[in-house]
Amino acid sequence: MAFLQLQALCKRYGPIDAVVATDLSVEQGEFVSLLGPSGCGKTTTLQMIAGFVDVSAGRILLDGRDITHAKPASRGLGVVFQSYALFPHMTVRDNVAFGLKMRKVSAADIERRVSRVLELVRLTPHAERYPRELSGGQRQRVALARALVIEPPVLLLDEPLSNLDANLREEMQFEIRRIQREVGITTLMVTHDQAEALSISDRVVVMQAGRITQIDEPYHLYEHPRTRFISGFVGKANLLRGDRDASGAAQVRHQPGDGELVLSLRPEKIDLVPAGTGRLQGRVVMRYFLGSQWLYRIETPIGEITVVRRNDGDAPMNEGFAVGLDWPSDLLRVLSVDEVPA
Amino acid sequence: MSKNGPLALSFHALVVVFMLAPLVVVCLVAFTPENTLSLPWHGFSLRWFRAVFERADFIQSFYNSLILAVVAATLATLIAVPAALAITRYRFPGRDFLNGLFLSPIIIPHLVLGVAMLRLFALMGVNGSFVWLMFAHVVVITPYVLRLVIAASIGMDRSAEQAAESLGASRFTLFRLITLPMILPGVAGGWLLAFINSFDEVTLSIFVTSPSTQTLPVRMYVYATESIDPMMAAVSALVIALTAATMIILDRVYGLDRVLVGRH
Repeated sequence: MAFLQLQALCKRYGPIDAVVATDLSVEQGEFVSLLGPSGCGKTTTLQMIAGFVDVSAGRILLDGRDITHAKPASRGLGVVFQSYALFPHMTVRDNVAFGLKMRKVSAADIERRVSRVLELVRLTPHAERYPRELSGGQRQRVALARALVIEPPVLLLDEPLSNLDANLREEMQFEIRRIQREVGITTLMVTHDQAEALSISDRVVVMQAGRITQIDEPYHLYEHPRTRFISGFVGKANLLRGDRDASGAAQVRHQPGDGELVLSLRPEKIDLVPAGTGRLQGRVVMRYFLGSQWLYRIETPIGEITVVRRNDGDAPMNEGFAVGLDWPSDLLRVLSVDEVPA
Repeated sequence: MSKNGPLALSFHALVVVFMLAPLVVVCLVAFTPENTLSLPWHGFSLRWFRAVFERADFIQSFYNSLILAVVAATLATLIAVPAALAITRYRFPGRDFLNGLFLSPIIIPHLVLGVAMLRLFALMGVNGSFVWLMFAHVVVITPYVLRLVIAASIGMDRSAEQAAESLGASRFTLFRLITLPMILPGVAGGWLLAFINSFDEVTLSIFVTSPSTQTLPVRMYVYATESIDPMMAAVSALVIALTAATMIILDRVYGLDRVLVGRH
């Protein structure tokens, strides 16, 4: 049986269903992300697990124990908040020691465990500072240390990186993953940032309008998005109309008009070939420089298509340039129609 | 930070002068050797300060006011903190009514309240009682504490409480170690505001004090209606000096902006 289990978990606010019949199993030591646009119910789900929001129906099991209606204090989970929620009137050391003091751990043990966890998050030199004297990234580390020091069975992260600027966010992503690996703690992270979810999770849970729409490993999720919404939300995608050929394989319809299938084709999977060759002819409308890549928007008879090419040092194509498009047909993904409104 | 232009600076200076001038004048008048309220052009004298300390009734009234203000402000704070937390955090029937009820003493003129309480206390047979005078003050100063604590409670990051809860804090520990320290600037500021409002309350107190419970402002008012001499200025100067000294000590010991603005 899984370490953390949600069974048909529901949350209703009056007539509004915030979370609908959610089932999820998280294994011990696993890093799982809840990914979705704002208002999809991911934070509500996390808060139900933490015990801050009452459960309308369903059960939450932690290591076989039913904690559905337990008080937050008795669940013993580590929670890191979007705002960090540090205690402004306490030093870093006192913030981190708080959970241990509540557990009546002896002073010597507190000292030892706080020092060890401050070392883990690389904050030892800042132990005597107040939160207001720290940078955003350092506050984030304090919040992590404070949650980890009580050695909780599960770590819950609520949008932990959304208050950091872009460079720091990437650094902290890797840092969170490093710490999670080192401690081996079961972790559930809520995020609306697909790049964040893909880069550090073992599995990603996509939520939409209160429901889970796909659970997969990051690579598989990216390569095989189940629905139209997911293909657009996780990475970039070209949505094309298509049908099946004689052998039953999906193919793009080259004439405008409705095909029976919706297909997804990732921009980096498309090859640009000399005009007149390839599966489709087009003309470059716009190009954008992304540093390591060029992004082209190409006008074709079946609509505008986005293509991403590696910046290999050669001169890029100019706008207005005629070009052919080609792709391996086994990289076309057939999408199911979205069963929930976006 | 942008610098103030000469126009803004002179405007600020004028405002400061306008606010401070009466205080400076009253302090100067206190040192006059004359028998009338006049500036001490012809030498300084401490005769009016001596006169104050020879008036046992004034000394008694000062202690009355001090004890009254300390106890009433403390009681008002004890009522306002739980009320403010309830009003800002929970939706319950009668919430708006409670909020309005607590604020009403600010809206109703103190004169009206004074007459009403005089009648009520007469009916209850407690006219001139110090305890009931104190309750009357609690009623009129609670709104000030309530406003400040409500503002502090709304401005506070609630997730800090959730964090403490998830770390194992019981409800009482949570209040003592997290909530109270985080709203302390509002509580301390509210207490101080309530103290000041109680200490210089005249209108209501005139109706509900007896000669033995007379507060300093009432004593001064009654004295001033009979005779105007520089002793009034001396009393005022003493009150100003005491207030300034308290503020300076508070600032040195604890940091005023830490108490009132909340820089931890």
